Amino acid sequence: MAKTLQTTSVGSFPKPPSLQAARARFRRGEITRDELRAAEREATRTVIAVQEDLGYDVLVHGEMERGDMVAYFAENWSGFTESLPVRSYGNRYYRKPIVEAAVGNGGRAGLTVESWRFASQLTAKPVKGMLTGPYTICDWSYNAYYPDRRSLVLALAELVHEEAKALENAGAEYIQIDEPALSVRPEEIDLAIEAMDIVTRGLRAHTVSHVCYGRFESIYPRLLDLPVDQLDLEAANGHYALLDLIGRYPWPHNKELALGVVDVHSHRTESVDEVKAGIRRALEIVPADKLYIDPDCGLKTRTWDEALAKLTVVAEAARAVREEAGWA
Amino acid sequence: MKTCVLGSFPKIPAGSGASVRSAVQRFERGAIGPRELSTTFRDVTARVVNLADAAHLDVTTDGQIRWYDLFDPLARDIDNFRPSGLLRLFDNNFYYRHPVITGRLQFQGGTLAAWTREAAALSRIPLKVALPGPFTVLALSEDQSYRDRARWLADVVDVLRLEADSLTGTGAVEVQWDEPALAALPGAERGEVRDVYAALTGGAQLVQSIALYWGLSARWLGGLEGLPVARVYVDAVSDPAVLAALAETVWPFEVGAGLLDARSVRAENPDEVLSRLEPVLRRQGADRVWLHPSSGLELLPPDRAEQKVLALGAIKNLINGQKGR
Repeated sequence: MAKTLQTTSVGSFPKPPSLQAARARFRRGEITRDELRAAEREATRTVIAVQEDLGYDVLVHGEMERGDMVAYFAENWSGFTESLPVRSYGNRYYRKPIVEAAVGNGGRAGLTVESWRFASQLTAKPVKGMLTGPYTICDWSYNAYYPDRRSLVLALAELVHEEAKALENAGAEYIQIDEPALSVRPEEIDLAIEAMDIVTRGLRAHTVSHVCYGRFESIYPRLLDLPVDQLDLEAANGHYALLDLIGRYPWPHNKELALGVVDVHSHRTESVDEVKAGIRRALEIVPADKLYIDPDCGLKTRTWDEALAKLTVVAEAARAVREEAGWA
Repeated sequence: MKTCVLGSFPKIPAGSGASVRSAVQRFERGAIGPRELSTTFRDVTARVVNLADAAHLDVTTDGQIRWYDLFDPLARDIDNFRPSGLLRLFDNNFYYRHPVITGRLQFQGGTLAAWTREAAALSRIPLKVALPGPFTVLALSEDQSYRDRARWLADVVDVLRLEADSLTGTGAVEVQWDEPALAALPGAERGEVRDVYAALTGGAQLVQSIALYWGLSARWLGGLEGLPVARVYVDAVSDPAVLAALAETVWPFEVGAGLLDARSVRAENPDEVLSRLEPVLRRQGADRVWLHPSSGLELLPPDRAEQKVLALGAIKNLINGQKGR
């Protein structure tokens, strides 16, 4: 019998205090890059151990080496420069990349493989290879070079495809290509789908795309045509209104849904009962063997304790629903 | 020709200087107290209005430096208008706390007026306040109480009008109603927009204006004729065709052309801006035309935002110098 209600996580984890301190010391020139890498690996060990302890099924490496999901690629690839910080909400800022020349891998092909491989060696469970999608890299960068967005998106799609191939060649069974920006410009969903088709071209790995915080009603059900095996969508932040939308259409038999059931932008930890109720609503729409359970989005905006508490609730709620249904 | 900005501005400096970001971090760590945090907000606001002065803008905002997002002052001043989960603001990588309406709206007031009074005292040039207009409030918030759109809209108009009236005597000279929802989203009906804006702006003591951005605005211009609205600002970056509408018809209100892209780091070529604006100046008359960024500037890094403001001054000098305006 196929495993039901598998648990996973979206991508980033908060950086433990020890790594935060190491990053600060590195910025001040007090430690070497190798010492920073050692701190990142130590944090990755903790991230994997947490997920193992909680019984998660498909793990993430936590992105300890990344500051921001777009800036990380821009910092390592060619064609980008970095802006001064730009606010994204509250007191959160990021350095928005500026595309100033033709984009390329900058001699860093397989950029994400090392961190994935290190994490994978720590567990027998699958660890997702984590990439940011071309549409989102374009949308969250300033384009000061390409004549239009389409040209930039398609150029980036080839780069992300190279990276996905490198992860697959290294052994990644799951490759996640995050496209959180996809949900805001319905007039460009065809472009995003075309780009994802380039990214996932010829891949045998299980492909996932995470999309969040937008007007899903403007891109649904077209979103189902995104050429990936699994869509990972946030629901808790919107009080599960997403399920009302999804429920209007038959869930495709060849697609999985990973559903966000805890709000990563709230300090409050949801109760197990709340999360169980959300899972049960989703099970009315999506078969259990097609449904994964996870937090709404990456956890890096939460404190370590908050993230742990939310991950615990997700695991406990999924386990309880499995047991109550006799799937355990 | 005159120049202005539309709303927000980065809360951090391009170089050294006061930073809301670091002040909030220090405040949350307990390293500074409420007084020092408030002083930082004041100092950053001063930097924004001083930049506007240096660029010889004709009207500025306070940069919305104290605002968490566009709904923040409403959430503070209106009962049962509560910030909730984060949602993306239209097609930007910027997130706002979407308001949830938990009961009948009641205006309490005080916060925005106090912030405006402080900013107006700091500014050497006239200050306007940009507030979300009723259609944007309805589009981006969630009603859990009224369950009747007409009643909800009527109360939203009422509380927004009270908020605008509370700015009388603060030093502000203009209330700008931001309506990205009208420009970016389908659905609004022209007759209802006219009725709502007649109720919102009729008899107001401060100059009233409307800003349409992040979408198509030309279609709304005709519907705003005859309303007590002194100015309509449009986003000519998202909707370049709107310039034709401004060049073909003499509108009864002053027009603002958002020709400086508030979401791109590319610096505009002044000659190109001039050539695009020229037909509008000819049709409307230079003294009835405003030049401004396409929207608020907080979506840019601080150095580029500053460049855009200074560019407004340079382009105004170019146009007014060449044309004797």
